Amino acid sequence: MSEPLPLAPVLADPLVVHPLLEERRTDAQLGEALLRPVLTKPGLGYWALVGLCAALTALLCVAITVTLVTGVGAWGNNIPVAWAFGIINFVWWIGIGHAGTLISAILLLFGMKWRSSVNRMAEAMTLFALVCAALFPLLHLGRPWKFYYLFPYPSSLRMWPQFRSPLTWDVVAVTTYLTVSVLFWYLGMLPDLATARDTAKQGWRRRVWGLLSLGWRGSARHWRHWRTGYLLLAGLATPLVVSVHTIVSFDFAVAQLPGWHSTIFPPYFVAGAIFSGLAMVLSLLVPARRALKLHAVVTQAHLDALARLLLVSGLFVAYGYVQEHFFGWYSGDPYEMHAMEILRTGPYAPAFWLVFTCNVLVPQLFWSARLRTNPAVLWAAALLVNVGMWMERFIIIVSPLSEDFLPSSWRHYAPTWVDLSLLSGTLGLFGLGFLLFLRFLPPIPISEVKALQHELAASEAFASDVSTREGGGR
Amino acid sequence: MSRWVLGEFHSPEQLLEAARALRAQGFHRLDAHTPFPVEDVDGVLGLPPSRLPLVALLAGVGGAVGAYVVQWFTQAVDWPLNVGGRPLHSGPAFIPITFESAVLSSASAIFMGVMVACGLPRVTHPFLRMEAFRSASIDGFWLVVAVEAPQRGFEAEAALRELGAAVVLSVEDRP
Repeated sequence: MSEPLPLAPVLADPLVVHPLLEERRTDAQLGEALLRPVLTKPGLGYWALVGLCAALTALLCVAITVTLVTGVGAWGNNIPVAWAFGIINFVWWIGIGHAGTLISAILLLFGMKWRSSVNRMAEAMTLFALVCAALFPLLHLGRPWKFYYLFPYPSSLRMWPQFRSPLTWDVVAVTTYLTVSVLFWYLGMLPDLATARDTAKQGWRRRVWGLLSLGWRGSARHWRHWRTGYLLLAGLATPLVVSVHTIVSFDFAVAQLPGWHSTIFPPYFVAGAIFSGLAMVLSLLVPARRALKLHAVVTQAHLDALARLLLVSGLFVAYGYVQEHFFGWYSGDPYEMHAMEILRTGPYAPAFWLVFTCNVLVPQLFWSARLRTNPAVLWAAALLVNVGMWMERFIIIVSPLSEDFLPSSWRHYAPTWVDLSLLSGTLGLFGLGFLLFLRFLPPIPISEVKALQHELAASEAFASDVSTREGGGR
Repeated sequence: MSRWVLGEFHSPEQLLEAARALRAQGFHRLDAHTPFPVEDVDGVLGLPPSRLPLVALLAGVGGAVGAYVVQWFTQAVDWPLNVGGRPLHSGPAFIPITFESAVLSSASAIFMGVMVACGLPRVTHPFLRMEAFRSASIDGFWLVVAVEAPQRGFEAEAALRELGAAVVLSVEDRP
């Protein structure tokens, strides 16, 4: 399919280094170009990736079956390291989800125009990350089929969940976050599902997208409620995203364990979550942009903005590390000092310095404007940050547990093959979900990009009108 | 039986201009179908602002109160369990779930509210049966006039043509 030529190149504004949209197209051409990923047949590479992710998902099913049949004993957890991969993966995945909400909700409230091109993919990433995250505490229950004990329902046991424990807060926070993310994503996608329905040629596609779009007709009455509702959901999702990772950090901070019992944990966890999520957005966006040829709508301006956010959130995280170690020393408490000591020079030093390199040194690359728009550097750095953030959760959870108060109870931790399969299996499930999303649902918000294009065209027309008048001009 | 006359325009500016002209000619039951939200269209069509914020507030407060009452009843009344001498009715510990429940109930109410207010989900609609109307979600800006009498329909068609509509259609919905 030959690509129609764009209507006009973008006017060069000397103050704008990278434009938000590389070219102007008619609305019909723009819609068609943005729907191309779902309307055309994918290449062999796509199916190879789907196969790989499906294989990893099969491995996940095996690992879940082993866990259900044998019990949590199949994992490497021991006493005192009772929380290990299950909770590390949970915190890591849920943190990844946070960047999706940041991009879609917080940047919407701040009126950042560049979010339009990337918010749908970021939200989809949030959903699949949350599904992976929710799996781990469920399996960690030991008897997952009794999960409904977590909800307050009047049972013959005459018992209730213990609501003074952060673990029950977690249940409510994660369920709420998952539900609100689904609603926000779906509501935002309704107009684009209608565009897909109306663009599709085959009857079955029309019918499927027609059902999914729930009869959306773009009426002024629809748009009026849709915009209000979307903005309200963004306003709710913004405090929600902060509260969710704060509550996750309470799981640790409320405990008495040295290395966990610290007031820096809530902001430190929220910053880490957004940092790791931005890294995951970049890890997915850079290859997707190339494979789906989205360079016209996901421009260097977007890469630049995401790289800046990565740098800023990386600095927050670095500040968290400094504070954590400073307070460990300043407390004067031998147990606290020991918990920090084993990170810097003890058995966890290699992991700690890997975390330091990936999360503190690597983002410093993005002080350079040239590196911020270099996709290869961005992608490599994002992958390193993903590794670093996983490792950070590993040392936060495992190292204080393994050497707590009494040296006689110290014990170190090693994962089993089931642990490793669960982690790589969720990576496969996440990838599979994301690949299927790219294939079947509009990956770029079409109506938002069209509106953005009209807005940019209007402001350019205004600028050129002003500059042709007497005394005008830039 | 409902009857509508539809006219397609090619830009939001044309649509707004036509809508203003039709209102001046006495057609008040207007609607616009556009691929993206058009600024000022609510004002031109005379649509009141959405009342969803009120729904969201009420649902949020309801969710918060409900969650707090459930926590208080279960922890302090129905099953008092002494954990380290902490008060049974421990308000600060109830804050996280109260907040999360407020968000959950408010967000669900907003989503349901949008659905109810827009009359969705709706699997079929007389407009969706027309092939030309597909452009309403792609690049067409449709102005819709709801009319009662057939004679008024002919007048609306003429007015839309006069205003430069590229396509003019007349639709009837027989129950």
